[in-house]
Amino acid sequence: MPEPLLTALGVEAGYRSKQILFGVDFTISRGEVVALLGANGSGKSTALNTVSGFVRPSAGSIRFDGEEIAGSPPHRIFRRGIIQVSQARDLFPDMSVEDNLRLGAWVRGAEIEADLDAVCTSFPRLGERRRQPVRLMSGGEQQMVAIGRALMGRPKLLLLDEPSGGLAPVFVGEIAAIMTALKGRGITMLIIEQNIKLALTVADRFLILRDGKVAQGHDVRTGAATEEDIVRSIYL
Amino acid sequence: MQRSASDGAARAVVSRRVLWIVPILLLPLPLLLNPYQQYVINLVLVYVPVAIGFNVVVGNLGLLAFSNVAFFGIGAYTAGILMVRLGLPWWVAVPPAALMGAVAGCAASVPALRGVRLFYLAIMTLAFGELMRWVYIRWIPVTGGSFGMALPPPDLFGWSLDSEAGKFYVFLGLVLVAIIATDRILRSRFGRAFVAIKSDELAAAAMGVPTNRYITLGFAWGGAVVGVGGAMYAALIGHLSPPAFDLTELILEFAIIMVGGLGSLVGSVIGAVIITAAPEFFHELPGYQELLFGILIVLVILFLPRGLASLLARAHPLFRDRYDRG
Repeated sequence: MPEPLLTALGVEAGYRSKQILFGVDFTISRGEVVALLGANGSGKSTALNTVSGFVRPSAGSIRFDGEEIAGSPPHRIFRRGIIQVSQARDLFPDMSVEDNLRLGAWVRGAEIEADLDAVCTSFPRLGERRRQPVRLMSGGEQQMVAIGRALMGRPKLLLLDEPSGGLAPVFVGEIAAIMTALKGRGITMLIIEQNIKLALTVADRFLILRDGKVAQGHDVRTGAATEEDIVRSIYL
Repeated sequence: MQRSASDGAARAVVSRRVLWIVPILLLPLPLLLNPYQQYVINLVLVYVPVAIGFNVVVGNLGLLAFSNVAFFGIGAYTAGILMVRLGLPWWVAVPPAALMGAVAGCAASVPALRGVRLFYLAIMTLAFGELMRWVYIRWIPVTGGSFGMALPPPDLFGWSLDSEAGKFYVFLGLVLVAIIATDRILRSRFGRAFVAIKSDELAAAAMGVPTNRYITLGFAWGGAVVGVGGAMYAALIGHLSPPAFDLTELILEFAIIMVGGLGSLVGSVIGAVIITAAPEFFHELPGYQELLFGILIVLVILFLPRGLASLLARAHPLFRDRYDRG
C-alpha cells in the first residue's frame, strides 16, 4: 500500500501555555478530500495551522510526501506544496487580483502566465476583474481570489479553513462548485467547514475533533453516517 | 469583447510615455531664470532622489526607518572625500556615493530584519543618522570636522559644471535615471514583494516571499538613490559640514514624502518641489515665512492625508501609482 501523502501522528500543539491539540492522528491519501469537523474550540484551525507551519507542534510527527515537516517554518512548508487558504484569507488588499494571483506563484517565478490564464478561466469573475484592487471586491469574490492564489502555487495539498464562512448563500453554492471542481482535478484537500452539508458534498472522508483529539472518522462514500449522526457526534 | 490585461498594460506604457514631455519642457529653463532661481530649481532636483529613496523604505516597504539623513550625508561625504582627498572628478565620485549609500542601507536594515518595527525602528535608525554626524565631526583628517570641507567645482568628463545651468542638465539626467529605475523596480516582482511585505509580512512569508531579503534590497536601493542625492548636494553647495545632516534635515525630508504622498513616486517629486521651493517663494513675505510654510504642511496633511499626489491621481489615471488607493 502506498504511503499516505500526509501522516500526522501524536501531534500536540497550542499557544504559549495553553495546549489545544493532545495527540492528533490522521492520514490523507493522494487525491483524497478530508473534512475536519468539530465544535468551536475543538482544535480544527490549530490542527490546520500546525500542518502549514504557522503553529509549531510541541510533540508528534507530521510526514508529508515522505519527509518530516513538523516544526518547519511556513515558507518551507509552502515550498513543499502545502498551501493554506486561511479563514482571514490573507489577501493583499491594495494589490490587483492579478498581482495577488501572481504572488501565489512567487516561488516558481517564471512560467506562470498559463497558470494565471487557467485560474481566470476557472474563475470567470476574477478574469473580468484582473486589474481591480482586491479591497473593492465582495467577500465571496475575495474567497475566490484566495483559492485562485493557492492554485497558482500548484498545491500538492490544499488546506481550506472555512471556505464558506461568512459568505452570502449565493456564494456558498459557488464555493461548493469550485471545491467539487478541484476535487475532480484530483487535488488533495483538507477542509475545515461548519456547513456540514457542504462538507459532505465534497469530502470523501471526515474526521471529528473533540477536545484536541480525533474522536471519530467516517468514510462518506459508504453512506454509513447521515448529517444528523455527524451533528450529534460533534456536539453531544 | 473583453480587453486583455496585456492590451491594458501596453496602453498604460504608451500613455506613461507622455510624461516624457515634462523633462523636455524643463530643458529651456536655464534661459528663463536668473542664477538664484536656477539654484533653487537645482536644490529641488537634489531633493527628488532624496525623497524617492526615503519613500521606497517608508512608503513602499512600510517601515518607519529614519536613517535617510544618514544615507544623504554618507553620499555627500563619499563624493566630497573622493574629490578632496583623492582628487577624483565629481562624476567619478557619484557611483561610489550610490554604492556607499546602498551599503549604509543594508546596515540600517539590520534592526528591521531582527523584527524591530514602528517607533522602536524609528528611534534606532534615527540614532544611525546621529552616529554618522558624530563621525563627520570627529573624523577631522578626512571630513574636516565641524568646520567642514570645501569642495572643488564639479565637472563632467572634464566639462566644468561651475554654472547653475550646467549642474541643472546633469542633475536632470540623474533624476530621470533615478525616477525611471525606481519606477521599473516598483512595477516589477520587487515592487509586488514590497507591497506584500507592507500589507501583511506574515502572509507574504507564507507565500514563499523571502521577506528579509526584500527588506534589505529595499533599504539598499533607497540608500543608493539617496546617496546619489547626497553627491548632487555636494556638487551644488560646494561645501560639506555636519549641521547640514541633522535632525532638522530629517524632518524636512519626512515632510517632503508626507506632503507629496507616502508610497508614491509622483508624490516624491511633487513633495520635493513644494517643500524645497515654497520657502523661497515666502521670502517675499518676511516674518511670515515659517508660519506660512507650517500652515501649508498642516493643511495638506489635514485635507489630503495621502498627499498632493492623490490630487493628481484623482485628476488623471496617468499619475496613479501601481498600488494607489485612489
